[in-house]
Amino acid sequence: MGNKQTIFTDEQLDAYQDCTFFTRKEILRLHERFYELAPNIVPMDYTDDPDVKLPIQLIINMPELMENPFKERIVQAFSEDGEGNLSFNDFVDMFSVMSEMAPRELKAIYAFKIYDFNTDNFICKSDLEKTLNKLTREELEEEEVTLVCEKVIEEADMDGDGKLAFADFENMISKAPDFLSTFHIRI
Amino acid sequence: MNCCSGCLYSIQLSFRRFKQAASDVFEMLGLWHSTLKVIEGKFGSSILSYFVFLKWLLLFNIFSFIVNFSFITIPQFVDMPLNNLSFSGLELLTGAGYFEKTVLYYGFYTNDTIRKEANLAPYNMQLAYIFTIGLYLSTCFLILLFSMAKSFRKNFINPASFTGNAAKLLCSWDFSINNEKAVKLKKKYLSTQIKETLSEALLKKIKLPTSQKLARLAIHSVTWIISIGLAVGCCAGVYFLCVHVEGSTQNSSLNELTKQAATLLVPVVVSLINLILPLVYAMFGLVEKFKYPHHEIYVVIIRNILLKISIVGILCYYWLQKIAESNLECWESYVGQDIYRLVVIDFLFVLLGSFFGEFLRHIIGTCCCKKLGIPEFDIARNVLDLIYAQTLAWIGIFFSPLLPLIQMIKLFIIFYVKRVSLMMNCIPPRTAWRASQMTTVFIFLLFFPSFAGVLCVIGVIVWRRIPSKTCGPFRNLLSPYESIDNWMDQITFFENAKWVVWIYHNLVESVLFFYILTIIVLIISYLYWQIVQGRRIMVKHLFEQIANEGKDKKFLIQELHKAQKPNSQSIHEDQDMQLVNVALSLPIESRRESTLALIMRARQQADLEEESPPMIRKMPNNIRTMAQPNMAGQQAERDTEHPNYIAEPLGAIKVVTKVNERSLYEKDQPRHNERSSNVMEMVMRARQQAEYEEQ
Repeated sequence: MGNKQTIFTDEQLDAYQDCTFFTRKEILRLHERFYELAPNIVPMDYTDDPDVKLPIQLIINMPELMENPFKERIVQAFSEDGEGNLSFNDFVDMFSVMSEMAPRELKAIYAFKIYDFNTDNFICKSDLEKTLNKLTREELEEEEVTLVCEKVIEEADMDGDGKLAFADFENMISKAPDFLSTFHIRI
Repeated sequence: MNCCSGCLYSIQLSFRRFKQAASDVFEMLGLWHSTLKVIEGKFGSSILSYFVFLKWLLLFNIFSFIVNFSFITIPQFVDMPLNNLSFSGLELLTGAGYFEKTVLYYGFYTNDTIRKEANLAPYNMQLAYIFTIGLYLSTCFLILLFSMAKSFRKNFINPASFTGNAAKLLCSWDFSINNEKAVKLKKKYLSTQIKETLSEALLKKIKLPTSQKLARLAIHSVTWIISIGLAVGCCAGVYFLCVHVEGSTQNSSLNELTKQAATLLVPVVVSLINLILPLVYAMFGLVEKFKYPHHEIYVVIIRNILLKISIVGILCYYWLQKIAESNLECWESYVGQDIYRLVVIDFLFVLLGSFFGEFLRHIIGTCCCKKLGIPEFDIARNVLDLIYAQTLAWIGIFFSPLLPLIQMIKLFIIFYVKRVSLMMNCIPPRTAWRASQMTTVFIFLLFFPSFAGVLCVIGVIVWRRIPSKTCGPFRNLLSPYESIDNWMDQITFFENAKWVVWIYHNLVESVLFFYILTIIVLIISYLYWQIVQGRRIMVKHLFEQIANEGKDKKFLIQELHKAQKPNSQSIHEDQDMQLVNVALSLPIESRRESTLALIMRARQQADLEEESPPMIRKMPNNIRTMAQPNMAGQQAERDTEHPNYIAEPLGAIKVVTKVNERSLYEKDQPRHNERSSNVMEMVMRARQQAEYEEQ
């Protein structure tokens, strides 16, 4: 223990534990992963809260995200500036929300952000079309795409405004029990 | 107050820290973290659910092994007679011979109190045996009950409405998959699925003619009759085979090896049935052609579980009726051996099953007959196999306290075999597998026919069966339960154990107590059921409310667009007509009244605004809000006949005026449409709040 370099102070680790769904060991593991992404930018010593941000290109090349069709959106949803640059706190936040322990409500908020491509706080038809194209390797005909999107909106839109607000989305999520287990990235 | 909440907060915090520390410890116990991650990454969460279930069962068995070993077996080691039977190796399969005189079976345990040294307290083997098993089973019961309840709460919120396109599109992507091939496969499945749903939606509109419906019904009933008939036939076959084998082993003309081989006949036949009949049931699926794939899954599961449970049931009947009443020297050990053989042979068949069913099938599918393709990993069949094995292990726990050890080793090996077989041979199931709902179903199945049945069997043994006269901890008693009776008689003489005796006589043994308890439980469950019904109605109302609010919103947007245009009398009239129409279309009396009032006031307010000079309009926001209490006061005076609604119009008016104000402001701003929809959001909130208060 004595020779080991201190990465976080005890208070920091406690704070991370209280704010996320991770244990100390997992926080340290996350730091290791973050460090590995860019060893020459990220310091080993985090005791004085250095302001280091990694660009989106580095993050989306992690094996956990690389094959994910929504990788850019995930990173953007969690970055403070919305551009996709992640500080270590954002990084921890991201995997905390995607962890098994995170509650449905929290996951729903970020899932909504991820699917809301144009960040207008609604999932509208164009967002759905983008989602569908990302999900299906663009194999569907254009008519099919519009038909599916129409159906989705018709089904989930409760107040009849032709797009999905967060309340609609949350309501839909609450009926899909699998969401909790599929909106999940194991780190 | 502040100190109190601070205190509460710090308690919460320390509790959370404690939980974290505990989870740290559990994480160390968490087996196969990286393996599970790889499986999830390659095959998605549905296949993972099988492995998680397996791991869960393994933890169950480890716990059971630790409990049994430390409280039953270790004391027995202290007081152990010599074992001079020979060991040939075949015993590993049959569990007979050498093992008969080891701690593996019930018959070996003593009925004495064990006292190593005079100054140590004696250890009563009878009580240790019955309490360990009793406590283990009640722990299992509680764990199963809680995990089932939790899983129900999480996953069965509203199962009926799951089959939507919306959920399929937005909730179906498995974020945990990180393997390129798997991602491609998943995308392909998704697009075919979406195409299928689209064509299904078109097909649904065509109604089947009556003749086809009848034909379908006939096919279903015929397959049900055949499958139940097959299950019954298999049960009868197993029963007569058991009786026959038992008779022939008593026959002394056979040599020892043949006798041992004969004992293996029943387990092999049972495992064969378990291997072959599910395949037959799966073939029925080709004939039946269910409308929805999930119906097919459920029907197959029901048939398989019926088969497995009835076979276990007939075996239990045979053991409890035939063996326990026969004049065998030690019937408990005999049954223990039977169960041991069933567990071991079942294990071998699982191994063979993954070799032939998955490995050879893969080779055939890739080399010889390309049409068959690569086999899919059949989650349902595999999980049902696990449930069957666990049921056997639970029943066997009374007859052979170390059976959990065997089960542990078995599950451990199965994990690795299945993992390798999955990685090398299989692809994930094509149809969407509703992992979380299925997990709930499996835990339920493990609880209901399986564990409940085990409890019944153990109950019959403990209360109703006479233990063997010459072996085991309960020899010379009328039933194993009598040991507790005897113990109570002994401790009556101790002054400070009086309460235990009192509890035993007045609560445990009293029928009246259980009668009252049952009634209380029934009343509570009835109350909860009623509450659930009430909530359901409430949910329905809330949905209606949301729909109505949608209408309000639409209307207000129209209103806003019109207010932005140059005002003219004709538009006002149109608006008023619409106001009345919308208000009348609302269903609830009070709402109509309040909505009308609201709209009227909104209109008046709008008129006021229009008449007021532009200077006021351009006043900064804070000044206008200061002016509002006055207006609100006037409104309130007019509202005296509806005292309850005062709060509502106040809020609504504020917002509506703001809307008007902003719309006028934003006339010349380019992005006003977008903004105004935000403003509409505010109106909605206000409406919603007002209606809540009203209710």
